[in-house]
Amino acid sequence: MASRLTILRRISILLKAPPSTTLRSLRPSLARRFLLRKVLAPNVSPWICAAASSFCSGPLNLPQDSQGPAAIDYRSVLSEDEYHRLANSTIQDLQEKLEEYGDVVELEGFDVDYGNEVLTLKLGTLGTYVMNKQTPNRQIWLSSPISGPSRFDWDHNTQAWVYRRTKANLLKLLESELEQLCGCGIKQLEQLYRHITAQEKNT
Amino acid sequence: MLRLVAKRLLGTASRDIPSRPLQILPRLYHENVIDHYNNPRNVGSFDKNDPNVGTGLVGAPACGDVMKLQIKIDEESGKIVDACFKTFGCGSAIASSSVATEWVKGKSMDEVLTIKNTEIAKHLSLPPVKLHCSMLAEDAIKAAVKDAEAKRAKMNATLKGADVKSG
Repeated sequence: MASRLTILRRISILLKAPPSTTLRSLRPSLARRFLLRKVLAPNVSPWICAAASSFCSGPLNLPQDSQGPAAIDYRSVLSEDEYHRLANSTIQDLQEKLEEYGDVVELEGFDVDYGNEVLTLKLGTLGTYVMNKQTPNRQIWLSSPISGPSRFDWDHNTQAWVYRRTKANLLKLLESELEQLCGCGIKQLEQLYRHITAQEKNT
Repeated sequence: MLRLVAKRLLGTASRDIPSRPLQILPRLYHENVIDHYNNPRNVGSFDKNDPNVGTGLVGAPACGDVMKLQIKIDEESGKIVDACFKTFGCGSAIASSSVATEWVKGKSMDEVLTIKNTEIAKHLSLPPVKLHCSMLAEDAIKAAVKDAEAKRAKMNATLKGADVKSG
């Protein structure tokens, strides 16, 4: 969905550009606009923006596929308030579910901790999960002992947190990995999405 | 008045230091990370307009991490002969990009695309919360290679065009 947005935006910028502009000269200005729009969040000071524009003097790679980083204006994808509501709901609901799970699965060194908006799940010697919000990108970042680092975006179509590169669904991923690691399934984690989006509709 | 405040602050600071015992923190950076942080390899810049230089710029200041990784390609062999980086971020991010520049030297562009963030993370013994830094370093390598390949393709297209015109 977001990649479609990028393509549409690029087409609209190209159409607005004067006919004599060559593609080569357009790319750096395009790139600068993308990076600056991303950087110019309300709480970012002007000198950081200046630094960013001088930093981004080379052509930015904007790949169609999921290989490299994509520069998207996240503010138009999801408003900050909406993002906080969704992300906080997800993490808090997940925390409750994991605490219940901890009572069921008898694992030495099992610990669920939530502090400074970071959720840490320790599974003793099996590894540690860390989940946190990444507000500028409107993402939830997960670090998993099985799949390593992943960055999830809110997908409006499926109403779920999805990692674009692997198309992985956050709650589905956790369900399968926890079952794999602990040998005990965590029930109906995906149902949490209904709860999260229901809360979103009520506010 | 400012001088008074400053003196008072300095006064309290000097009084505290001798009495506070050395605290051993539970989380430590692995010695490899400290080594790369204190002695970073290949810090610098190449001319981005050089047709044999590929530049990968990843991350964003708002997120707290920006990495610029550049590779210099040998025209004939297509191998990476030199690499440099500049990173704005935490110690783990600096170490990850420093390791990346070390590992890409002497390899072909196809080979470096196989460098995985898990290998970088393992080499630096990165804790779970810092695995994202290693992924950013992997992304920087991929972006640099992509840029270098794009430049080469463009150069070849220009040369072909020139051949057609002169022939």
